[in-house]
Amino acid sequence: MKQLHIWGFCISVFLIQWDLSAQNTVSPTLANATIDSLEVKPKPPMSLRFGADLFRLVRSQYEDDYSGFEVVADFRISPNFYLATEFGNEVLTKQSEQVNFTTEGSYYKIGFDLNMFENWQGMDNQVILGLRLASSSHNQFLNAYTLLDRTPFWQNPEDQITSGFATGARSDLNALWFEVIAGFKVELISNIYLGLSLRLNRLLNDTVPENFENIHIPGFNKKTEDNNFSAGFNYSLSYRIPFRAQKN
Amino acid sequence: MRSINFNLTFLLLSLLFFLHCEKDDICITSIQESPDLVILLLNESEGTRQTPPGFTIRPIGTEKQLIQRTGDSLPLPLKLSESNTQFEFITNTGSPDENIDTLQINYQRKDQFINGACGYRANFILDKTAPIFLLNAGNNWIKGAVILKDTISDETTAHLGILY
Repeated sequence: MKQLHIWGFCISVFLIQWDLSAQNTVSPTLANATIDSLEVKPKPPMSLRFGADLFRLVRSQYEDDYSGFEVVADFRISPNFYLATEFGNEVLTKQSEQVNFTTEGSYYKIGFDLNMFENWQGMDNQVILGLRLASSSHNQFLNAYTLLDRTPFWQNPEDQITSGFATGARSDLNALWFEVIAGFKVELISNIYLGLSLRLNRLLNDTVPENFENIHIPGFNKKTEDNNFSAGFNYSLSYRIPFRAQKN
Repeated sequence: MRSINFNLTFLLLSLLFFLHCEKDDICITSIQESPDLVILLLNESEGTRQTPPGFTIRPIGTEKQLIQRTGDSLPLPLKLSESNTQFEFITNTGSPDENIDTLQINYQRKDQFINGACGYRANFILDKTAPIFLLNAGNNWIKGAVILKDTISDETTAHLGILY
């Protein structure tokens, strides 16, 4: 809820500034138009776009064991090239076969998007191929586990160990990975974009918690044994601030 | 150019979908489970490893019977919820010379992570100063014990030698 308020504030601030700057940009171009006979080379349409992932917000609502958010932003520096970033936070409790754990932490991703789509005049949609370098800082809490005992004699092998021994927190963990992204962004109405991106993640490095494993890494998702890959996606709604419009 | 880009994107998208498939987490049976304590019976006077005549072990606190095994090394299941387990070591079972020694094995449990699918394995560390207590007074046929390997993490070698 607090996050929502912060967003509301940011959006309003940006809106006001955009409004103010738009007022004094018209007259010089009109004055020069009659004098300058050379064609003005169009400058790249720089624009800042920011938004939030809808899936994580919705999932936080309907799933008790999950709460998280992801904010996204990209900055267009040439017609088909964007600097892009994501920032997110996740708290997830999961029963993974014999182990019950909670992962909590945040992550950020920095990289670029390339637009592969040639728009018709007036359209601004993107088919995106992108790359990100991502890093997380997280904690793992081992809540409960069972002991592997195929020939039980004294006890029920289903018994959960919920305290002492290996249970407890493993803090100050990190992970580093990169993501290959394919996706699209569609302009729904003026300056509002809906985007879907699929991500293939390749783990580069992670601090392995003592006597445990990073079964889930915030932002990276599930880490499997003997495999450095994972996958993820986001479904974002973004707002664009066009602070240098393309001249036609 | 445009169609090439489209094809490339489509290819990458479908590739992502396929790579999304992940293998199930199954705990395969070749993974070592929580080990039993392996004891070795050592005849002190003759210096041999062998079980005495008519030797049986009865666990205390359960109706269950241990699987009777021949051979000089015997696996004993340890209680996971406690730090000691008691057994009756019996020689000359059924005969007039029957001698029952009640033995308590002292240890600490230490759980070791295997993987998400298998969970944890209980390892044990034998109490260094007193790995065993003889709980019945007098007329003990067991003379003592030697720690052969204090960390019980597998069943490949014997951990405790029982001297008689």
